[in-house]
Amino acid sequence: MNGGNPPAIAFREVSRSFGGRAVLNNVSFEVEPGEAFCLLGRSGMGKSVTLKLAIGLIQPDAGAIYVEDDNIVGMDEDGLSKMRGRVGFLFQSGALFDSFSLHDNLAVPLKRLWGQKPDEEIESIVQNNLDDVGLGKEGRKMPAELSGGMRKRAGLARALMLSPSILLVDEPVSGLDRVTAGEIDDLLLRVRKRDNTTMVIVTHDTREAHRIGDRVGVLDNGNLIAVGSMDELAENQSALVRALVSEAE
Amino acid sequence: MRRYLEFMGNIGLFALRAVRRVLVPPFEFEMILRQIEAAGWKSLPLVLSSGFALGLVLALHTRTTLVQFGAEAKMPEVQSLAFFNEIGPLLAGLLMAGRVGAGIGAELANMRATEQIDAIEVLSIDSFKMLVIPRIIACSIALPILTVFMDVMGLAGGYLAERATSDLSVQLYISRAFHDVSWAAFVPPTLKTAIFGAVIGLISSYLGYTTDEGAEGVGRAATNSVVISSLAIILIDVILVKTIFFLFPETAI
Repeated sequence: MNGGNPPAIAFREVSRSFGGRAVLNNVSFEVEPGEAFCLLGRSGMGKSVTLKLAIGLIQPDAGAIYVEDDNIVGMDEDGLSKMRGRVGFLFQSGALFDSFSLHDNLAVPLKRLWGQKPDEEIESIVQNNLDDVGLGKEGRKMPAELSGGMRKRAGLARALMLSPSILLVDEPVSGLDRVTAGEIDDLLLRVRKRDNTTMVIVTHDTREAHRIGDRVGVLDNGNLIAVGSMDELAENQSALVRALVSEAE
Repeated sequence: MRRYLEFMGNIGLFALRAVRRVLVPPFEFEMILRQIEAAGWKSLPLVLSSGFALGLVLALHTRTTLVQFGAEAKMPEVQSLAFFNEIGPLLAGLLMAGRVGAGIGAELANMRATEQIDAIEVLSIDSFKMLVIPRIIACSIALPILTVFMDVMGLAGGYLAERATSDLSVQLYISRAFHDVSWAAFVPPTLKTAIFGAVIGLISSYLGYTTDEGAEGVGRAATNSVVISSLAIILIDVILVKTIFFLFPETAI
């Protein structure tokens, strides 16, 4: 499938506990370049922790995590910083900076990283990204003035500022109505089609996983109990997996 | 006791990290200016009004005592020495611990709880350098300036109290206020507030930046920032006063 290229992301027997409670238990999976991989599961099953491990915000207790060619476990801050330049992250809440306008939420990180680039070029990138997510006229607004859906779209615009080859997405449609959720999914699909971006999407929405994901992994109590296409999962031995998949129908 | 020592150790490590990171570019001038505005400019009304009120009250009390000894002419000098040496620096420090310390603790804790700090990190930006260093530097720059304003307003309040009971002119009040006041009585106590400011910025940033208790941690970080910063600057003041006496013996009356 990948023509000999290394996986975009690979987890090898990764475990992580918090306060004695195992959140991830020997989890292994691979995501191929250009693939959209959805992690499905109920709340509190370790999905968001998996994403934070994948970008080095949390270190595992055991195992190895590869982003493209690099094992990021135990990597120093400089190495993590370089790796994060290739990976975008859309947080569940959007995680916009409260004290910056929407425009500055996108521009400030870029100015700090690309300080030597002319302001006009940065402005052009910011405006293009805002236009892409349908917020081209909202740049002056503060995050508090945005609706939940707009925050998600703004978060996506910011996550795409550095043109990442990998996009990690945490619960993109949670708390949104069905129509707005569909718009966010459309955006993700468009980005993937346009840039061939590898995506790892954490969700508890089976319909979203069905719509976006090439493959789906099901996490339950810290264990990855099934991986495959939705059709494959529909015939899985686990009643939980079959029950989750049937929600999409 | 163990928790206390652990906290002190963690603060020490946090301070060391700040010292190491402050010397590494980029130097965050824009963020420092933003924080000076938040910590200094926006605290000015509080400092001006508090300084004036305290100057007034202090003069009313002091005058009564001085009159008993026939030394009311010394009132302006007592007022200036009291403000320059201790009241101005300490009160400005405590006001900053209350207003700015709580703000820093709550703001950073909220950023942690709402994943904004994680968002900075995933954008390949050093969140410690972007959020913590500018706040520490801004507090240590803003507090000495606020202290000067506090001193001036304390003298102004003192003059108003004096004016209510005598015909003392402004020129004579100022002349008497500065008659026996050396630079050593003004400059070192004012500059010591740079250390107060750094301590407030450091403790509040530590409590906000390192919280992991979600929304509940925001309130706790704000409260603890005020309590611990206030206590710390009072304790550090004791050491700094002794140090100033040692370095400038003429200020030790």
